[in-house]
Amino acid sequence: MKHFLRWVMAGVLALGACASAALGAEMLLDDRGAVAASSPPALLGPITESGRAGWDCAPEHAATARTANAAGLPHD
Amino acid sequence: MQRPPAPQTPPVYRTTDVYARVVAASFLALIVTAMAPASAQTYTGPTPAPRSTDAATLAAQGRAREVRERFVRGVAAEEHGDWSTAASEFTRVVALDPPEPKGSSARYDLALAQTHLGRDDAAVALLEEALHRDPRFAAAAANLVAVQLRRGDLAGARRAADQYLAFAPDSVLARYGRGLAALRAGDLVTARGDFRVLIDADPSYATAHYDLAVVELRAGRDDAARTELEHALALAPNYARASFALGTVLVRAGRRADARVAFDRCAHDAEDPALRALAIDLRDRL
Repeated sequence: MKHFLRWVMAGVLALGACASAALGAEMLLDDRGAVAASSPPALLGPITESGRAGWDCAPEHAATARTANAAGLPHD
Repeated sequence: MQRPPAPQTPPVYRTTDVYARVVAASFLALIVTAMAPASAQTYTGPTPAPRSTDAATLAAQGRAREVRERFVRGVAAEEHGDWSTAASEFTRVVALDPPEPKGSSARYDLALAQTHLGRDDAAVALLEEALHRDPRFAAAAANLVAVQLRRGDLAGARRAADQYLAFAPDSVLARYGRGLAALRAGDLVTARGDFRVLIDADPSYATAHYDLAVVELRAGRDDAARTELEHALALAPNYARASFALGTVLVRAGRRADARVAFDRCAHDAEDPALRALAIDLRDRL
């Protein structure tokens, strides 16, 4: 009898786990907010003492760039 | 009567001439080679002698030299990821209060160190101070938006991105930052507009198509979202998040076989283990 009850209990738990996982997946598919936006932009690097006085300032170039590659925008 | 042209005879060199030239050339090459490392080891010109003995002038020159040297050491530390050293160097530069653009650059660099040390509040204050000193400091505006987005201050990110776009309307980084801030805050109209501008500026940027698809998904426009996701995947076939999002759209449209292919593609391409596990789970359920 004890063994039988153990098997019943294990079966109930397994069924519960499957049902909750399936429910979780269904909820994910129904939830339009579950698909996340892309990553925030990366931080631009350091600037030297004279960096912004000349044309050799990579962070300023990236910050004003007109293409995704030049700006170092994320790809995920 | 014309005389026939004399036959061209090759110039005759004496063997000793040839040897002498070879020896001279080798000697010159030897001298140049010997001088190369010497010039590399030569110090730059000496600092010009002060033209004044006035105490205030000498103190100002001393401060300027300290600012210069601490900038060099601070930037080197940041390039090596030594954020504590960088923070102490730039804290001192800020205390020395150099004129613009050095003052705002020092605050920018200190903010970079602070955010890597986990002190985002301090970083935000420093970047706002840098922008107060130089309102068109684009890199400071870009990093302020990035830090605000990372710490989840959507109102702060939006405010910073609006200011950034006001003086750099063609910047794709400004457009991307404001689009993300608007999307996360639920302002779908602004987000849609920004990602469309971004696509117009750089049609090959797959992520902008993906983000526009997320906007359309949140607006309940699955067909528009699917079109953008297909654009994104045409531009970047290994874009795992786009495959995953496409799978969810296809499931809702009842196209389970196509959705299974999309989740399988995501499971294959995803680098993030959580996304891969989720894609495998959903694929296996279909």
